Amino acid sequence: MSEEHSLESRLVATGTERLSLLGRYADVLMQGYTRDEVPLETLTEGALRKLLAARIVWRPDEHGAVKLTPKVRELIAEMLADETRRHVNADVGETLEQIRNLVQSYREAVSLGEHWQQGPLMLRLRQEVDDLNGRFADAIDSLWQRLNSDFGFVSRLNDKIRENDRAQKQIVRLLDGMALIDFDELIDLVGSDGALRKLLISQLQQQLSQHYTNLREVQGRLIELMARFRQQQKQSRLVAGMAAFLREHPGFVPGNYTRRSEVPELFNHASPLHAAAAPALDHHRDAEVLTGLLHQLPVAVHRPEQAEVAGPAMVEAQSMVEARQQALKQDVERFYLDVVDQQAPAAGASSGTSALAYLSESELEWDPEIWLFQVIAEYQGLPREEQRAFRLIPDESPAGPFNDVQLIHDVSLALVV
Amino acid sequence: MIEHGPLLERLLAGEFICAVSDESAFRKLQDEEVREQIDIYLRPLNRRLATNEDRSVHFLAWRQLNEDAREQLSRQLGETVNSLLPLLEWLQLVQEALGQDSLAAPGDVLKPAEFSAKCEDNQSLRERLERLATDPFFGSQSEQLDAQMKQVFKRLKEHGYLLQPHADRQVFLVTAKIDYLVELVRFIRDEENLPVDDEAPARQETLL
Repeated sequence: MSEEHSLESRLVATGTERLSLLGRYADVLMQGYTRDEVPLETLTEGALRKLLAARIVWRPDEHGAVKLTPKVRELIAEMLADETRRHVNADVGETLEQIRNLVQSYREAVSLGEHWQQGPLMLRLRQEVDDLNGRFADAIDSLWQRLNSDFGFVSRLNDKIRENDRAQKQIVRLLDGMALIDFDELIDLVGSDGALRKLLISQLQQQLSQHYTNLREVQGRLIELMARFRQQQKQSRLVAGMAAFLREHPGFVPGNYTRRSEVPELFNHASPLHAAAAPALDHHRDAEVLTGLLHQLPVAVHRPEQAEVAGPAMVEAQSMVEARQQALKQDVERFYLDVVDQQAPAAGASSGTSALAYLSESELEWDPEIWLFQVIAEYQGLPREEQRAFRLIPDESPAGPFNDVQLIHDVSLALVV
Repeated sequence: MIEHGPLLERLLAGEFICAVSDESAFRKLQDEEVREQIDIYLRPLNRRLATNEDRSVHFLAWRQLNEDAREQLSRQLGETVNSLLPLLEWLQLVQEALGQDSLAAPGDVLKPAEFSAKCEDNQSLRERLERLATDPFFGSQSEQLDAQMKQVFKRLKEHGYLLQPHADRQVFLVTAKIDYLVELVRFIRDEENLPVDDEAPARQETLL
């Protein structure tokens, strides 16, 4: 008994000492976690020896670098919920074997009346069951984390798809592991022992059924998410492919689906209809409301106009300018009409009619620059629909070899057939 | 019917209703009973409720396709086809500027200023935006990057692909009309047997 007690206290002492190593060298260890190896510059010879003895770090080969042991790496990943490195341990078989052995030892101890053995055995059994339970809980937690972040720890869609696939495989392994736990066998194993029954049957069964539901839920959501990832991938491929196709085939025109007996739903978008309304006085009550509204209208303020502001001479000058502007506009419009008349019968591609050529041919007296301005302005002033019917081809060149300002020498107007 | 008044008005005005543009209206439109009520109301107006394959946007379609309706649809189809390339190029531009490998999706937040900054840093993006903005569909007349960007966003908003929740803030939400556009593209691809593939290459599949 006392021997066992001293063994336990030695275990506790060594464990505490080694655990505290984690805290004392946390900085160095975290550097070892983020990098490939543990930096040795700040570690003394003694410290390194202690870390090696505690199996916190190890040397994969004699003269190689010092690295974190897999367990410590896993511990840190688990503590940080670092999904890139977190592992799912689905190995249930080994734990079940352990549980079977412990149950048998415990039952033997009971039948032999060795009370001092029973306590520690029960404790270890409890720990094994907790371990098993915790392993599923951890795995499920890790799966949810990844799911809820949309696999945000990787950025590319292909990586997300691969990670999702990996997670789904983990679930399958976990479910396979769960299937190894055979409660009929456990019932036989524990016999009539109440404490064992409570621990291994009722408690474990309840926990496992909860994990099972959880795993199924995660699995369903992962499959859904995978479908979404693939959908996204397909969409962006489709858009890229179609854009490339349209660039290569600028004249592409699809069939006129709207002439079919069954117009596809997507192309049947009815024209807009605006529900307009105007004030009406045929309802007495409305008339009152309208009167109220009328009174609330802000009163327009008319400032007395000062006579000297607008002299008659300026009005005249103004109207002269307007008249010339109007004449210019009309000439340009005639130019547009002329282009329509001339080019319409010749259905082939046309290089257009030069605006300056037209100007000199029709012996108009406009300044060429003003003329070009107005031709361009007219084009830009057209409604979009009509603008599409024309093509304005500028004849331009850079202002100089080192000046990229484009000088327009002339514009040609062509009809788009 | 009175409670559906504002919704009807938006639908009649030719709007696409989705979960982003009007969540409560969208939820109403998922109810078969409401849809039926609205359809009955729309009958004399020769219109009915329609939806895309994903059921993510709702809009009004002609109930009876008479000659006028076909004429209008045919014109609209022409406009859609003309706007296809600039819209697809814009989608690609957004994807690349944001460094994503999926398309802008309904509900995504887009900020013109953020794009301007990306385009300023990247000559190739800058040139592509320039080309896009001066396309007749977007119709920018400016040479300034910010003005071009503003025009592009404005046109996309006018066409219902983007929503601007606050008129004074340059923050936009992508609507589900994007889904509609992608479905349209897929339809045309399938109908015309275009050599446009959207499946992952087999080589990549085996890697997974």
